[in-house]
Amino acid sequence: MATPSDYACGCRDFRTSRRTFLKGIGVVGGLGVLTSVVGDVFTEAHGGAPAGGSVLVVLSLRGGSDGLSLVVPHGDPGYAAARPTIAVPPESLLVRDEMFGLHPGFAPLEQMWTDGGFGAVQAVGMPQPDRSHFSAMERVEDADPGSPDRVGWINRMVGLTGIGVPNQAIQLGTPMAPTALFGPAETMAVSGLSNMSLLSGDTPVEIQDRTRSALEQLWKGDTSLLGTGMASTLQVTRDLSTLARTTEPVQNGAQYPDGDLATSLQQTARLIRADVGTQVVTIDYGSWDHHTDIGTVDDGELTSMVRTMSESLAAFFTELGADAARVTLVTISEFGRTISENGSAGAEHGYGNCMLLLGAGVKGGEVHGRWPGLDSAELVDGDLGVSLDYRSVFAEIVAKRFPDASLSQVFPDFKPEDVGAMA
Amino acid sequence: MGAWGGGTTHRPNGQKSAQMLRSGREPVNDGGVSAKPSVAGPALRHVLSRFSYGVTPALVADARELGGSAQWFEAQLAPESVPDSEATAMRSWFGYLDAPPDQLVAATASGSSSPYEATAALARWTILRRTYSRRQLFETMVEFWSNLLHVPLLDASAWPFRQGYDALIRQHALGRFDDMLPATTLHPAMGLYLDNALSTKEAINENLGRELLELHTVGVGTGYTEEEVLDSARILSGWRVDGMDSFASYYSAAHHWTGPVSVLDFQEANASADGRGITARYLSYLAHHPRTARRIATRLCVRFVADQPSEAIVDVVAAAYLSSGTDIKATLLALHSHPDFTGSASGKIRTPAEDAIACFRALGARAWRPKTAADFGRAVTWQLQLLGVMPFGWHSPAGFPDVGAAWSSVGRMLGSLYLHQVLANRWKEPYGVVYPPLADQLPVLPASLDVIVDHVSRQVLQLPATPQMQRAVLQVVDMPAGQEVRTAAEFGEWRMSQLLATMLNSPAHMKR
Repeated sequence: MATPSDYACGCRDFRTSRRTFLKGIGVVGGLGVLTSVVGDVFTEAHGGAPAGGSVLVVLSLRGGSDGLSLVVPHGDPGYAAARPTIAVPPESLLVRDEMFGLHPGFAPLEQMWTDGGFGAVQAVGMPQPDRSHFSAMERVEDADPGSPDRVGWINRMVGLTGIGVPNQAIQLGTPMAPTALFGPAETMAVSGLSNMSLLSGDTPVEIQDRTRSALEQLWKGDTSLLGTGMASTLQVTRDLSTLARTTEPVQNGAQYPDGDLATSLQQTARLIRADVGTQVVTIDYGSWDHHTDIGTVDDGELTSMVRTMSESLAAFFTELGADAARVTLVTISEFGRTISENGSAGAEHGYGNCMLLLGAGVKGGEVHGRWPGLDSAELVDGDLGVSLDYRSVFAEIVAKRFPDASLSQVFPDFKPEDVGAMA
Repeated sequence: MGAWGGGTTHRPNGQKSAQMLRSGREPVNDGGVSAKPSVAGPALRHVLSRFSYGVTPALVADARELGGSAQWFEAQLAPESVPDSEATAMRSWFGYLDAPPDQLVAATASGSSSPYEATAALARWTILRRTYSRRQLFETMVEFWSNLLHVPLLDASAWPFRQGYDALIRQHALGRFDDMLPATTLHPAMGLYLDNALSTKEAINENLGRELLELHTVGVGTGYTEEEVLDSARILSGWRVDGMDSFASYYSAAHHWTGPVSVLDFQEANASADGRGITARYLSYLAHHPRTARRIATRLCVRFVADQPSEAIVDVVAAAYLSSGTDIKATLLALHSHPDFTGSASGKIRTPAEDAIACFRALGARAWRPKTAADFGRAVTWQLQLLGVMPFGWHSPAGFPDVGAAWSSVGRMLGSLYLHQVLANRWKEPYGVVYPPLADQLPVLPASLDVIVDHVSRQVLQLPATPQMQRAVLQVVDMPAGQEVRTAAEFGEWRMSQLLATMLNSPAHMKR
């Protein structure tokens, strides 16, 4: 049974190196549940991931983002023809080339694009169309079609590369873990950093410790999902208690807009700066389910969301400062939207979509992928086709940024294609 | 009445008041010095736990008075026969709950309310009903259908119609699904939320046509094609809502798409511009479809039995659904009498919302009419919002997930632990709520700590205190186990709050 002196390794100091940290966990493993769940991961991780390692931020644009409005194929005549009301006027596009241009809402990221830190891939998606939000999102996050195992790809990745602690992969913004995080490797989902302490951040430490002891008694031997969750909670709050109890000002002069996305990104920046072993952060931002009122570039839902997202991302990378050199951010959505607008100036669920890539290792300033064209012969049920499996994009990011991960285990039965979006 | 059903009054010399005996607790007589409140046996506790928002001494007393769990279950299937005056009176606590959409919108336009406040009233009232109604099973079924046929509270266009939608769900919650489905599908709240109200024959909007199949009936595994989704939407075209001026809903033949339609085995010429007949037939077809039966049976079993119910029980429940003609009571009876149900005690994890409501019940919170936003009856929504589980607040048409895997994250644990601490400290008292006085929460004194813990465990968890619970309490109350407590003041409010929080933090409370 662990005693307080076992934690004298400095686990309360969140800058503890990973090796000391692992040693501490080995002792804490007396909680029983944790040991059995993460035992395999400890073995793998003893190779020791380097401190200051890569971080991946996966920004899920929930609802089926309209990729055609984000990375606009103005050079394809099929685009304007299908969208008499909602086509983005070519003269308003940013970083326009012969075929593509960015929605003007991306203005805060225009410099990043020009500097090569922001790129995109078009005509990406799942091998088979799935226009149902729920099953599509699950499939995207599970990334293991045909398998009955409900383990998300991020979970597989952190299970292979990391130290097996719940803060290795974190969902910020809601208490609900997305499918990508589900699985045997411990992960966590919280509304915000200050919530990562037992009871509120300003509860006296003695009360927190007593509550911790009581919880250890109550939940000893409980191997249910809830019991596992409780064990993770006790562990991570111990590890992150300092981070949770303090606040820090925004760094490097970053200026965030209002909103939940900005808050989540700000907290992500803080978590990355603290370097406590987090490798992946997932954030949901939505809803992009624009059945109605995509709007125009002067006003409308989509425009304001693109603008908010761009301001938030720009501030995020500014705040990261030197840490930006190890942080890659990628967007994903469950599907794109129909090429044709519907009667409500919106678009229905479609197929092919774009993915945006920002940060470390990105070959930015261009649109990657193979554009299938909007001729009816190339469309799939009237939707933009898919030239590249989205897993190829993720696989390329994982290969470049997390070389220790075995791609065949993260994406089983899948042969990734070269995308060329990462250096 | 309150969730603890009357409370006990203990006199210092050990006499029990008549009130305590009336509430249904049978003292264990060992010379009259101590009396352990009796608890429900495991079988009764299980039925009450699954079909209520939390087992309390009052609930156990109700069931015993009726003759046991089976009789209680049957009585609950006829909620109109269950007297419920206290909870019923709570409706009058919230203005505008019965107001039609145009009145609600006018109130928000004039500044006397806001869409948030208007819809929050429904959420507050719903939380109070789940906490205080004696028609507990009915309330669980209202939640069930509201989740299957989800329309969120604060949708930009549907919100003025949401409370009317709730009334409709309540009307059919223990009726027949083939009455429920056309009512909810064609209600203006659903039509606006999933865009059917905007769908025209020139530009069909597929949203409701798709979700009707995917979420409300047969489910995505049925293998319908995109063309069938389109036909589903075509059948539903014509049901309009004026969501801006009159707030009237009406049928417009001019907007109905005509032409042959085919969805699964439903095929019709659909030649008439008046599509009301075909709509009715299509929805009836879906309500009676074997895949719908299977899907609803599975969801009911997930809610009331286990996260992964056996094929066997799903088969039986689906068969009862179909053979009874989609009768919900018959379906529930089949579920309740299946051995898999009987054998599934304590296996379900409480969602954070259920947890919060179970806390209100377990702590014996007694609420009265709120006067300000700070009062309990209005503040209840804040607690649930913090946890991300506002009633009817789910962000997607799929409704909230009902399996433990969705609710076992570190974030959930942190949220619920914090909530338990706050509530156990007599949250909000005296603003619109009161909790049982300390003296009433304690057993006859003097008593040792372990006797106190056992007594409180029987009240709050309907279980005797386990050795684990006793050890856990020792961590937080800073008092040796054997020490005799002579007065309530000596024990103190602080220790009681920590003791209560520990109970609420236990597996016994967080599962159902």
